Amino acid sequence: MMKKMQLVLVTALVTVALLACAKKDEPVVNPTVKEAPATTKNMSSADSAAAAAERERLESERLAAERLEAERAKVEAMINKIMSDEVYFDFDRSELTASAKELLTQVGDILLKEPRFTITVAGHTDARGTEDYNMTLGSKRSEKVKEFLVAYGVSSSRMETVSYGKENPKVEGQSEEAFAQNRRANFKVNIKK
Amino acid sequence: MWLHKELFAMFERMTKPFYFSFLLLFCTTVSFASIDTIDVDVGISVFKTMPIGVVPFTEGSGDFSKQDEKPHEVIERDFNLSGRFTAVPSSKFDLVKFSRERAKFYVTGRLDQVAEGRVKLSCYLYASQTKDLVFGESYVVAMKDVRRTVHHFVDKVIKQLWGEQGVASTQLAWVSKIDNVKQVVIADYDGFNRRQLTYDTSISMMPVWSLGNADIIFVSFRNGKSQLFQKNLSTGKEKRLFPQHAQTFSPAVNPVTGEILYAGIVDGKSDLYLGDPNTNKIQKISYSKSSQVSPAWSPYASEILFSSDRGGSPQIYVMGKDGSDVRRVTFMGRYNERASWSPEGDRIVYTSMDGGKMNVYTCAIDGSDITQLTSNAGNNEHPTWSPDGMLIAFSSDRTGSHQIYIMRKDGSNVTRITNGGDNTSPTWSWYGKNEDNTLKKEGK
Repeated sequence: MMKKMQLVLVTALVTVALLACAKKDEPVVNPTVKEAPATTKNMSSADSAAAAAERERLESERLAAERLEAERAKVEAMINKIMSDEVYFDFDRSELTASAKELLTQVGDILLKEPRFTITVAGHTDARGTEDYNMTLGSKRSEKVKEFLVAYGVSSSRMETVSYGKENPKVEGQSEEAFAQNRRANFKVNIKK
Repeated sequence: MWLHKELFAMFERMTKPFYFSFLLLFCTTVSFASIDTIDVDVGISVFKTMPIGVVPFTEGSGDFSKQDEKPHEVIERDFNLSGRFTAVPSSKFDLVKFSRERAKFYVTGRLDQVAEGRVKLSCYLYASQTKDLVFGESYVVAMKDVRRTVHHFVDKVIKQLWGEQGVASTQLAWVSKIDNVKQVVIADYDGFNRRQLTYDTSISMMPVWSLGNADIIFVSFRNGKSQLFQKNLSTGKEKRLFPQHAQTFSPAVNPVTGEILYAGIVDGKSDLYLGDPNTNKIQKISYSKSSQVSPAWSPYASEILFSSDRGGSPQIYVMGKDGSDVRRVTFMGRYNERASWSPEGDRIVYTSMDGGKMNVYTCAIDGSDITQLTSNAGNNEHPTWSPDGMLIAFSSDRTGSHQIYIMRKDGSNVTRITNGGDNTSPTWSWYGKNEDNTLKKEGK
């Protein structure tokens, strides 16, 4: 019960913080939509041959679509950067740490606000242990992250999990610091086209 | 009653020659055992190796300078790797040396060029005392096939002197980092004749051999996830296996049927499935709340070894091939993984992590009689049995980079077979065909 209360409190705080911070980004998401009809109107008002008008219209539609796609890709890259924060785990553990949960509430808020976003959660391990068992451990970690976000209200159909085991380390080396950096889950955000 | 008598008589008839050969075998073993203490290389080895002389081949007409190794050098390495022999090299027949070192037999041969790029390779096994020819074969082969032919001859010598099939003609598959991407490579068991099998820009790993050695089954991340693929070695054709699961890994080939046991991830949990690579039909084998991984078959495919974290950390378990009768095997240590059943059926080899370091252990199939095979030499992992059960190949980072090593099943005689790069996860091939028909034999 205590934990739940804490979680709600943290969530509320983070939501407020996130809203403040998300506002900056918001204008970038939408503005392109307005332009397209305006240009089309201008073109069609010029009373040239019907075929030429049609060509013009198609061309401008194409340009508008391109702009939209460019915007989408830009936002996707931006969100991926914002979400480049990673969830870290303890050795041979898949339980979420307190700081992991804090980060995940922020991720959850972004996902709840932006239904176009789908994510891939990738689970990773450090270099110790076998390839095989680390594949299992990586999948457990990504699943724990997914479970948390489902509990947070994000539809499970918007999330895919994948395990990389120990195959994709962020930091090479056999030091404890490297190990700690590599025991992680990270996110890839896809925005629906 | 008469039936019993008849049977007994038949039994007697059948076993008489066996008694004799047993007696013979026993005699020879005892005599070799008495000299084992001389061999300092063997150290703590419980193996009784047989000293055997190796004399360079006579070179007839032709230019043989292009060989990367002379035939007798290949033979010497084969003998020393085999876990059966200790080579006694000598530049020429030397009765004093052979008798001092108790080499009752010696091997030599002759190399003649018969045409451009083709040679006649004659290999002989002699008894040292009498200089009697015990066994000899000649082959006419391409120059590049001399190595392969010599391996073939070594296996014949093992058959002759041990009555068992050797592994000189077997192969290894492993994972090699090439341009910083993990790729699957295959090579002769001694590390020579290496060939790259995958050329993807994404990770390839966990190679195993299909029954009959025609294909390699491996894991590829080409679709962004670990997925099993099968690649034919002669045609190069590839196909994805068991697409019912998004993520599959840890393949283990059934030594009787060729079916593939593997780990598939569903809802973040890996379970074991049995799949037919020809039809892609699958069935679930393990049912548990925890994850299971790293399956391995018993030699006759009646039992399955696997790892499970049901106790909180990975431990080795065994069950029937249908998933019934699960028993825990390992109790010592917190991290025991990737078990593999010896071809003789009596022991398992596995990797255990202690103090953050991985080491190779063996134990009896009930988990008793634990023997540590590697220690104080970096991480040692991914052990794989030779098909004759005499040897274990594994990877180790003891020199600073991961390389492939072969040792005897008691941990002695550790020999590195790769140089440079990063080489991990070896798996030994099955026996090839009993007779290599591609080698054209000439009359004696």
